[in-house]
Amino acid sequence: MPDTTVRLGNFDPERLAEDFPGFIPVAEERNGATCYRLRLPSFPQGREFEAAELVLPRGFPDQFAARIRLSSDAVLRLPHVEKDGFLCIDGDPGPSSGASADDRIYWLLDAFEKKFLRPWLLGELDDDFAKEALDYWRIYVDQHAHPEDAINSVWIAEPPCEARVVDCALFTPAGIIAVHAEHRVLGRIRHSLGATAKQELRAVVADIPIDNALTPQTWPQSMDDLRFILNGRLPEPDCKKMLEPRRRNGRTHHRVVLLRNPAFGFAYLLPGGPTIQAGGKKKQRARLPSKSPRPLNVSRIDASWIVGRDQHPVGLRQSVRVLVLGAGALGSPVVDQLAKAGIGHIDLVDPQNMVAENVGRHLLGAESIQSSKAISIAQRIETGQPHTSITPSVQPAEVWLREQGLGGVDAVLDLTGEPDVRWAVEKARKEIPCALLIGWLEPYVAAAHACVLPAGVEWMRDGDDPMVHLEAVEWPSDVMQQQPGCSSRFQSYTAAAAAHAVALVAEQALALIDGEIQEARIVSWIRGKRFLSAHRDDLILREWAHPAAEYDGLVLERPFK
Amino acid sequence: MSNTELVLNADRSRRSQLAETLTNRAAATSDFAALSRIYGPWSTQLRRVSDHITVPKEQVSKASSSYVEVGNCLLRTLDWPEQVIDIHTQGSASTQTLIRYPDRSKFDIDAVCAVDIDRIDARNPVGFFDSIGEALSRYAPTAKKRCWTIDQPGHPFYLEFTPSIPLATVSKRTFEAMRPRFLPVREYEDTALAVVDMPTRSWKTSNPAGFTRWVDRTASRQIVQTGMVAFAKHELREGVADVPNQDIEITDTLRTAIRLFKRHRDVCVQRHIFEKEFKPISVIIVTLLTRCYDGLASIGHTFPHPLLLLVELAELLKHMVPTRDGEYHVDNPTVDGENFAEKWNTDRGARLRAFSLWCDVLIADLQTILAATDEGEIHDTVNRVFGCTAATATDADIPHNRPTVHRPPPPPPRTSGLA
Repeated sequence: MPDTTVRLGNFDPERLAEDFPGFIPVAEERNGATCYRLRLPSFPQGREFEAAELVLPRGFPDQFAARIRLSSDAVLRLPHVEKDGFLCIDGDPGPSSGASADDRIYWLLDAFEKKFLRPWLLGELDDDFAKEALDYWRIYVDQHAHPEDAINSVWIAEPPCEARVVDCALFTPAGIIAVHAEHRVLGRIRHSLGATAKQELRAVVADIPIDNALTPQTWPQSMDDLRFILNGRLPEPDCKKMLEPRRRNGRTHHRVVLLRNPAFGFAYLLPGGPTIQAGGKKKQRARLPSKSPRPLNVSRIDASWIVGRDQHPVGLRQSVRVLVLGAGALGSPVVDQLAKAGIGHIDLVDPQNMVAENVGRHLLGAESIQSSKAISIAQRIETGQPHTSITPSVQPAEVWLREQGLGGVDAVLDLTGEPDVRWAVEKARKEIPCALLIGWLEPYVAAAHACVLPAGVEWMRDGDDPMVHLEAVEWPSDVMQQQPGCSSRFQSYTAAAAAHAVALVAEQALALIDGEIQEARIVSWIRGKRFLSAHRDDLILREWAHPAAEYDGLVLERPFK
Repeated sequence: MSNTELVLNADRSRRSQLAETLTNRAAATSDFAALSRIYGPWSTQLRRVSDHITVPKEQVSKASSSYVEVGNCLLRTLDWPEQVIDIHTQGSASTQTLIRYPDRSKFDIDAVCAVDIDRIDARNPVGFFDSIGEALSRYAPTAKKRCWTIDQPGHPFYLEFTPSIPLATVSKRTFEAMRPRFLPVREYEDTALAVVDMPTRSWKTSNPAGFTRWVDRTASRQIVQTGMVAFAKHELREGVADVPNQDIEITDTLRTAIRLFKRHRDVCVQRHIFEKEFKPISVIIVTLLTRCYDGLASIGHTFPHPLLLLVELAELLKHMVPTRDGEYHVDNPTVDGENFAEKWNTDRGARLRAFSLWCDVLIADLQTILAATDEGEIHDTVNRVFGCTAATATDADIPHNRPTVHRPPPPPPRTSGLA
């Protein structure tokens, strides 16, 4: 049980009141917290708020920090005020600072005076709403939200474009409106939502680009405000469509106004949409706005945000088609990485089903045993990464290449390790030149390689497959294990050791896809002497790989000649 | 079409009669003191907006110093006698309608440097433009369509210098050689200038001083019967003229309307009602309001209170744009043939739509303000409509609650690792 007694350490209210004339040393217990009223100055018109208090929560000073709370009339009128009136300013450095309770309260009151009250009165915080616009929007949404709301958020799955009206999907009972012009993407989002998207209804969204974030001073507050925006920003027929809740067939439809730029979004559900049945046995009507527009939270699930929170540009990856051959211990996590990097379309080819011994080092787990690797991976990734579509093929890579060829493929990743596949890829690339990455592991993942070949550069050297010559270790013939009862040979390694290889191959694949690689090269991850010796004492690095010997591991890059 | 005809047409086209409703509130009272009591709550708040959007005196003063400094540098660098170059402000700084942007963007001081024709080659406008840019090179100017922009890092303003020559000093033969686009209106030809239009690499007629004179003259027509109309005056100096005072009384209703409506337009951009690219440009707002004011004066229409005139101007504004041969025209009253609304006719209606919508929003917002009766409600509505923040305290107003004993600051926050 946590200690919930109020222990104020060396805090002496009377002494503090001598230091701070604004502090009134009269304690009041409220909801388990000890509160002290703060004296406020006279305010210029429009800057007033009713009250401010120092709040020492139950558990102060050992577990929690002291805070300042303003009266509810300050919420959304003054910046830095949270929905419950607490001020969001640094002050009390908290229990982990080791400072005394007295000092911590002193610093908090000092910060309230210097960082908040005085700047507020001088007008120095007037632009601060724009700095944390989404926080205030969430408060505004919360103020208008109800647990029985039928629609509660908007997910945007593509970057902003010209102002438009677009047909979108409303998934219930999740209460999410997904915004994307393509229905197949909406389908993947529905798939991601699973059981919470039992029903798909139609919604129209006025998707309007804006420059600056909305703040409590500028966001629309009424239907009239939104009407002006729709009138000004949409062509007349689109505007009419948005302002008229009834369609030609007489039925009403859900209408949302979405105001957004590449970084943030604000949405309003307009009144007058059709009834939605609430979930559960009782067929109740779910709550919809009847008169005024209701603000909604907006989440971005577009690739640029999901992939790198706008810090790692997705560029053209969303329009790229990548062929991945092999969905094994290397191929499956690499496909996962490609999806998380924003690749738009992946063709995944593997003839095998998942078996128990794959589970320890594969993207899939025991739930997929006896299922096709390619299909299960496609389902799993499309559920988690709706911006990527995967077309699985349960057939040998050679057959796929023979039947489909490389037309329309931007890059091929051969992650099978199979010489027959390499030969088939080479043949297909002679017909249609295509960028290629060949990735493979050496036993124990003592080394891993990514050979990247721009279109037009051949893999075969004078008709020979060069893979063995490119390896880092001269392997004894008995390193491979024979699986009892079948002809399959295997070599054990841990998933952690393989993760280095996955990272290496995925990074090189993305560099190839992004067009950053002009010259053929081979990039290798090589483990040092200590790692090799832990497995066998007769393993020797080839001369070119010697620099790795003294390290745990090293990445080396060589030209592919 | 004359201003009178324009106003009469606009009056027939308008849908609302807000001014009339407002007049009814005052019944038959024409006593200014009584009217001030009735309309006081609203006019006080609009006066507050006017103060709020005024560029602070110290900033105008600083901008003015920078403008004089750059102007003097230009004189020194060109090594011309002072009398061959005249530098004075144009645009909002000269019409006393300079306002602050709601998003704290920099304001600009526009200036023209008018050079004696004898100093330049009239056949080489681009060479003239470049020579002014070169003379300003120590300020790293950027060339725009007709002027050089000088940024003032660390200051809330920037300067724009437009090289020009006074057409009054140009001989007929030289004028014919220059062949400037558009001709000066005779009434204002003494102040007409030729500026360099860089996109076409040719001369173009302009008349900022004439335009200012036109606004000044119209604003001086008294149609508010208050008996206390005040006008700001500015002094002129030779060589480099000062930036005029920007503090305007609400009884100077034309300029008040221009300033308030421009501010409302800027707030509409922030409210995303139209895109910044299509917002009604200031010169169109000034021209239409001035024509409207002039038309009302010519009809003999008078207003017992400035608030009524403001509302009347707002209601007529939308209908003040005439069409000729199917094209929209907002003619420059000082330059024959120059249409400020030229782009309206080639942008598939985007600017016209933005203008029209802006006028609708302006009227709706004024209606909301005038529907409020409680002082606090009027205050808050006016703040929202014109993007104003509440009044601020001065440092001296704030009681010092600071402790007498200083304690060392808290330890810096610990940084967390990424996980």
